[in-house]
Amino acid sequence: MNISEIPYWLLQIMLIPALSPFFIGVTCRIKAIMQNRRGAPVLQPYRDLRKLFQKDEVISEDASWLFRAAPYLIFAVTLVIGASIPLVTTALPNSYTGDFLVVVYLVALGTFFLALAGIDSGSAFGGFGSSREMMVAALTEGGLVLSLLTLALISKTTNLAAISENIGSLPLTSFTPIILAFISFSIALLAETCRYPFDNPATHLELTMIHEAMILEYSGKRLALMEWASANKYLIFIALGANLFFPRGIAGSLEFVPVMLALALFAGKVLLFCLAIAIIESSIAKLRIFRLPDLLFTSFVISVIAIGLVN
Amino acid sequence: MNYEQIIKRYIPHYAETAVHGNIIAFEVPSSEIVAVCESLYLHHQAPLKIITAFDERQENGLFRIMYAFGLPKENLILAPYIRVGEDFPSLTPSFHEASIYERKIRTFFGLIPRCHPNPRPLILHENWPENIFPLRKDFDWRTRPEQAGGEFLFRKLGGEGIYEIPVGPVHAGIIEPGHFRFSVAGEEILLLEPRLGYSHKGSEKLFEVLPLADKLRLAERISGDSSFSYALTFCQALESLSGTVVSDRDKYLRVVFAELERLANHLGDIGAIMTDSGFNFGGAQCGRLREAVMQIKERLTGSRFLRGVAKIGGVTPVLTEDAARETSESLEALKMDFEQVMAIAENSNSLMNRLRNAGILSYAIARDHGVLGVAGKAVGLAADARVDYPYAAYHELGMEVATEKAGDVHARFSVRIREAYASIELIRQALGVVPQLAGEVGAPGLKFRRDSFAIGIVEGWRGDIVCLVATDSSGEISRVDLRDPSFLNWTALGYAGQENMVPDFPLINKSFNLSYSGNDL
Repeated sequence: MNISEIPYWLLQIMLIPALSPFFIGVTCRIKAIMQNRRGAPVLQPYRDLRKLFQKDEVISEDASWLFRAAPYLIFAVTLVIGASIPLVTTALPNSYTGDFLVVVYLVALGTFFLALAGIDSGSAFGGFGSSREMMVAALTEGGLVLSLLTLALISKTTNLAAISENIGSLPLTSFTPIILAFISFSIALLAETCRYPFDNPATHLELTMIHEAMILEYSGKRLALMEWASANKYLIFIALGANLFFPRGIAGSLEFVPVMLALALFAGKVLLFCLAIAIIESSIAKLRIFRLPDLLFTSFVISVIAIGLVN
Repeated sequence: MNYEQIIKRYIPHYAETAVHGNIIAFEVPSSEIVAVCESLYLHHQAPLKIITAFDERQENGLFRIMYAFGLPKENLILAPYIRVGEDFPSLTPSFHEASIYERKIRTFFGLIPRCHPNPRPLILHENWPENIFPLRKDFDWRTRPEQAGGEFLFRKLGGEGIYEIPVGPVHAGIIEPGHFRFSVAGEEILLLEPRLGYSHKGSEKLFEVLPLADKLRLAERISGDSSFSYALTFCQALESLSGTVVSDRDKYLRVVFAELERLANHLGDIGAIMTDSGFNFGGAQCGRLREAVMQIKERLTGSRFLRGVAKIGGVTPVLTEDAARETSESLEALKMDFEQVMAIAENSNSLMNRLRNAGILSYAIARDHGVLGVAGKAVGLAADARVDYPYAAYHELGMEVATEKAGDVHARFSVRIREAYASIELIRQALGVVPQLAGEVGAPGLKFRRDSFAIGIVEGWRGDIVCLVATDSSGEISRVDLRDPSFLNWTALGYAGQENMVPDFPLINKSFNLSYSGNDL
């Protein structure tokens, strides 16, 4: 590794965990404004994390090592993914974990341990949270993999940085399958990040929860890690959506000016995603749980069509 | 019909009747009570209002159990009663609605309902000793009994893949305490049993010891969101006992305050139903509208919850002409605002899809359990105390009972919306009349009828609230029993939850929005 790459690698690794709470805060703030509320400051999630890191924990007597280890593992997984996907530049060589299948199944690994941790404490809420999460995750996988596969087929590579570079250089006329794949990916994004219409991140009703039900037994530092990991996952999926489907503006080299411009543009794109998600969460009701599969199948079918359109 | 015709038609020939205000009471031998009540409830379709017991062992060594049935068109209450020693015949095999009252009498008076199919204790938990009955006169309210170690058995379902979800009494949100036991197969609710009593405060016993002014304050605090309705119910019973006349102006003002309370709570509930289905826009807007009504209440009375507003013989605040006009104008603006919000909500397919066909309560279950208020109206039971037993100035104002047929969450949602509009209309009608009316009639030198009783009925926003007050031979209040509509509606909630998905239950529960405090007393 060239010594001049180090600052850019640091940026790449730090960007997701450093900014993810901010964008959670931004989404909440936009939602609040759209609902005629003032809302908490956008930096509130950082304060919540600091508060939780200072708190003691209560761990159920019935919980095993798995319950204790899961937050570290899940958080670490999001760090690895965050370091592997194209964020502001496509020029960082990353041939091991930068493959889209690796990323998708690293996400699945996190989900797997999250679900195990939910069951592990023995609480009924964790149990049904995990069971619902597994139902949603299993059905999301198809749309997620196939929508990214569409991009891989178009650019004839499975490396995410290469996909990003390639899609950015395509003429506008070849965008039909990409737009279809993006629609399919967006549905998967909402499901994977526990957003409307799948899950309500703001709910306090135990019986309706999916993600929150699994982490209900966590407190203190481990809860902070869980919350932080889910914020990371949120930003990771938005970054994938922004940089794979609309990669224009991402830096193709490791020079200061293009990277900084790309960073600003990246922040702008993420804000647009946050705005769209906030609009969805303010304007529709959550779906009934057994209507979720319909939506996920739609995602699957659209991405199949997208693949069919790739020439 | 005059009294004689009513007595001839409804009351067995052997019974001697006594008229107490609007109550016709008559003693029946305990062997006859089932037949008498069956005739009133099943044959004449007189709605059961309350069953309650009195400990009169100091006077005659017996308990009295009184059954109050309403005659809606006549605005009269028929009250057969029996005197019993240790047990009494249960009405539950004849009609189910009596079950919950009899369980309460069993728990608090220790009288055994014979042939009751499910005599489990109610409200008091297994840590309360089985042989201590707190509403007996010889129980001192200050005693703190030993912790007992009983066990409460929930109904169990067996079968492969069936598991139980215990929820509460402490919840993630800020709501009252209640435990719900779900038996679930996958996501489908097979059985739901609510368990209450966590906010039992001994209110009925407290009514026997507090001075009169504090009794009124206690009535206001039975269920905090219905402060005015409860205080009004209690005042009406005391006015009937003392023959106090309420001025015309205060009668209209009572309508204004009662409807403001209903409006605020309905707006809050309509918003909460939308929030719980995830429709945040509607939830936030209705929260704002509710707050506007709370502020109107504060401007008019100094209390957001109308505490200290009702008094025996009238209401405390005086409404100036300006305030009346201003309120009327704010409500007109609020109505237009509300119409716009509801137009958006009713156009939301995703919201309507969540509300329709969720938590269906069948007409038969509702009727058999005596379901009241919003939940009853949503299946087509058109009982409303404002029409059936008109009080305050309701008989002079035009109103219709809003009913729906479907019995699902959407029907309860719609009943609330229609009642909210009706409330605005009633308030504006009443405010138009108030300033021209004379206030203040005779100052109250309160004297209650001796050895008598009275019943106040008020349509609170959840349904009708019944308050029975009895006096002893020196004219002192010896017993107060309050029946919140939730007391009956809780018994039917489990049926509305059955066959629904677990994640829909919070929405179903919210569409009922029953009182825990009013049930637990």
